[in-house]
Amino acid sequence: MTRRKFIQKLLKAGSTIVISTSWLAKKTVPRKFVRAVRLGKYPGSLRPLRDISKQNKWSG
Amino acid sequence: MIGVVEASRLTEPEREMEIQCELCPKMCVIQPGQSGECRVRINIDGVLRTVVYGYPCSLYPYDPVEKKPLFHFLPGTRIFSVATVGCNLHCKNCQNWEISQANPEESQAYVCSPEKLVELAKERNCPSLAYTYTDPIIFYEYVYDTAKLARQAGIRNVLVTAGYINEQPWKKLLEYVDAANIDLKFISDDLYRRICSGTLKPVQNALVVAKASGILVEVTNLIIPTLNDKPEQIRQLSHWVKANLGSETPLHFSSFTPRYKLRHLPPTSPQTLDMAREIAISEGLNYVYIGNILSKEGQNTYCPSCKELLIERSGYTILKNQLKNGCCSRCGKEIYGVWR
Repeated sequence: MTRRKFIQKLLKAGSTIVISTSWLAKKTVPRKFVRAVRLGKYPGSLRPLRDISKQNKWSG
Repeated sequence: MIGVVEASRLTEPEREMEIQCELCPKMCVIQPGQSGECRVRINIDGVLRTVVYGYPCSLYPYDPVEKKPLFHFLPGTRIFSVATVGCNLHCKNCQNWEISQANPEESQAYVCSPEKLVELAKERNCPSLAYTYTDPIIFYEYVYDTAKLARQAGIRNVLVTAGYINEQPWKKLLEYVDAANIDLKFISDDLYRRICSGTLKPVQNALVVAKASGILVEVTNLIIPTLNDKPEQIRQLSHWVKANLGSETPLHFSSFTPRYKLRHLPPTSPQTLDMAREIAISEGLNYVYIGNILSKEGQNTYCPSCKELLIERSGYTILKNQLKNGCCSRCGKEIYGVWR
């Protein structure tokens, strides 16, 4: 085997290791977590808080 | 602000604006501009937002705690109840479907921050707050922040839930919870899928985790004729409760009222409920109750040791309470519960 071929093989093997390691690392790193953020405005309609003493029909 | 983990951004570049909500076992992958199955957790420009935070659709300060139902938690007290629209399950028998299956944009809500909610509960001398009517899991952040403030103010926190939540956010929330009534709707995964669009395992896990966390846990099983009213199903469910949650865990068998998509089924007969109670007692459960219907004995608490009548109830009313410091007044046995 010539020196050039040996270096080519070495580079190929090295790059395979680097690529597969970085792929594996990307898969194993924990995902970036986010929490649900409050929405500024309610999409439905609003009603006054003075209603709250009225009995409701909900069970539970 | 809370630092719990509820959602993650998908890492593949082509799906960068999609979000996966990790709050419940549905694990909804939400496209920008869309909501999860619960209708209230939406993706706006790649950020998961909770539409209902601070916007309850129902607030009621005068519910009896027995209505939740909780029979072993501060009996005879009023509980401040709060709900928002939405639910992560779609039970065909839902009693509150008008709010649980509603879209936020079609609903009416109050503006009530966690601070305001605690203030209202204090003003009305409510010893506890219940996150109820729909499922508090879907207004998780609102519950969490309110519960934290309530605890600081000396107010207890109660969840009335189907327990369809992932373990990590569940454990985080339980740090601020004092009691929960958790539905065990069926003991069959197939029925959970067909009737509720859920699965059994996560609910069982939520029950076990809640019990292990040390909070007071009561279990409700709604008996729906033709679906889960067979003696063998009731025996299996009771056996699971005893084996995994302990014989002291209160179990409520509730009567079904034809509603929503199961209007064609008849209501549960009192005989079926009595039969269920007898089976659960024979399986070794100490506190078995009948709900949504008047019952002579099925709503009373008896001492599991000497059989003395300790708490006599009629509907949501306490007629007699013979407990002494949480113990049987006759034989002194400690009774499972939060009594003061």
